[in-house]
Amino acid sequence: MRQAILSGALACLMLPAAACKIVPNPDPDAQSEASAAQTDEARMAAYVEDRWQGEVLPVITDNTVAYEALQAQLGEGLDAAGAAHGLRPEGEANPWNFVVTGSGTVTEAKLDSRAAKMQVDMDGDGSADVTLQLGPVIRGTALRDAMPFIVFTDFRDQIEFAKLARAMNDRASAGLEKPEGDVVGEEVSFTGVFTLRAAGDTPEIVPTELTMGGAP
Amino acid sequence: MSITRRLFVSGLAVTAVLPTVRAAHAQDKGLIAIITPSHDNPFFKAEAVGAETRAQELGYETIVLVHDDDPNKQSEMFDTAIARGASAIILDNAGADATVAPVQRAKDAGIPSFLIDREIKESGIAVSQIVSNNYQGAQLGAEEFVSLMGEEGPYVELLGREADTNAGIRSAGYHDIIDQFPDLEMVAQQSANWSQTEGYEKMETILQANPGIKGVICGNDTMAMGAWAALEAAGRTEVIVVGFDGSNDVRDSILNGGIKATVLQPAYRQAQLAVEQADQYLETGSTGQPEKQLMDCVLITPENAGNLETFALSS
Repeated sequence: MRQAILSGALACLMLPAAACKIVPNPDPDAQSEASAAQTDEARMAAYVEDRWQGEVLPVITDNTVAYEALQAQLGEGLDAAGAAHGLRPEGEANPWNFVVTGSGTVTEAKLDSRAAKMQVDMDGDGSADVTLQLGPVIRGTALRDAMPFIVFTDFRDQIEFAKLARAMNDRASAGLEKPEGDVVGEEVSFTGVFTLRAAGDTPEIVPTELTMGGAP
Repeated sequence: MSITRRLFVSGLAVTAVLPTVRAAHAQDKGLIAIITPSHDNPFFKAEAVGAETRAQELGYETIVLVHDDDPNKQSEMFDTAIARGASAIILDNAGADATVAPVQRAKDAGIPSFLIDREIKESGIAVSQIVSNNYQGAQLGAEEFVSLMGEEGPYVELLGREADTNAGIRSAGYHDIIDQFPDLEMVAQQSANWSQTEGYEKMETILQANPGIKGVICGNDTMAMGAWAALEAAGRTEVIVVGFDGSNDVRDSILNGGIKATVLQPAYRQAQLAVEQADQYLETGSTGQPEKQLMDCVLITPENAGNLETFALSS
């Protein structure tokens, strides 16, 4: 009997943390304390979820530029294109971020990775022009840095601010219907955000919309 | 008693710093106090020199003080700056929590602070906090490390000083990249407190327990120099070492085939920018920038190491 209780207790201890989560009763006075007790990850994930539909997606809609139009503008220089279509935080030498939409043909795909990616030919010459980052692990902070309502000063420190970038990327990745199987040669349409440090760099786009097989 | 003591201490501090006060240009715009960690680390020296040079160009007198990462010492230096009636303080601080109080004290005395390199855990007290984009830089360094490692093998991470946010953020940036590769196994993770000596000692010990290691990723360049010296002493020069800062020492090691890569923080420009913002704030009442600002970092490899000098990259 004692052994049963012990092993019961052990089993409970060994349950995954998520299954054992203690949810405190909401107390309006203690709300700020409760949010302070959350981990950075959880707090930033909630921050993003609260703003995704109402603030993030509208920024994307309002700033989307067609891939071809952006390429043409980039021919006149990165700063000209940035001034016309780019988004970036204030401060010295912050790189431009762009929201771009377009379609092309998949030339290469790595879909079984935690950092899944597709290379896409946009101009029909057979070579890849952009990379689509499908995640769940997505590089960079383009989505965060493209949002005019997000200001570093409002966050505790770089660690919290980095978790915010990660939470934005996670949210984008979670919202995509991931392509499966052999997609090389298929057409893909997308809208997404990327950071461009030099006009000639390959855009590493974080898609917020993705459709396989032609225009949506 | 405590007043006498404080007067005595600040009197001492003033005497101690007098020789570094230099008469500036004719247009006397006041005094800028530049407070950083020890100049033993060339990174902090570059900051101090960058800030001092720019301040004098803009017509300020300067005093340069060193807090040695000791919050008490830093606090005394703030008292010195306040007692001397400084116009502004340029600060690379001695701890994200411990620095809030002295910066507030200076603010209450009407002296604005402009922070570089390290943040404090409050906003609205300093006028500017200009820091390197450590997360972006760490991801660059980690990608190069993963590639040099061939995406596999046991490795070690040397962390910076725990009280410093930069130690945590660089480690987070490293792991966001490295942890995507299941064949890279971290066999030891220890703090060497940004120190070259500790980097050497920690590396010696870790190497004894884990002779099979293939790489070492470090939170800064001085620890990378310490680790590299220990590896060299043990005849293990095939071990891949990556640092962070972009010091001339690591540049030379990279060019000589020692340390493989580092990440440049634009420390010299950052210090100058802080002085420029201080000047603009004193003249106009505003810097025209948000308080907290990030500056991007650059990966340094044998390809571009030759263009690196005193924490600045020429093109």
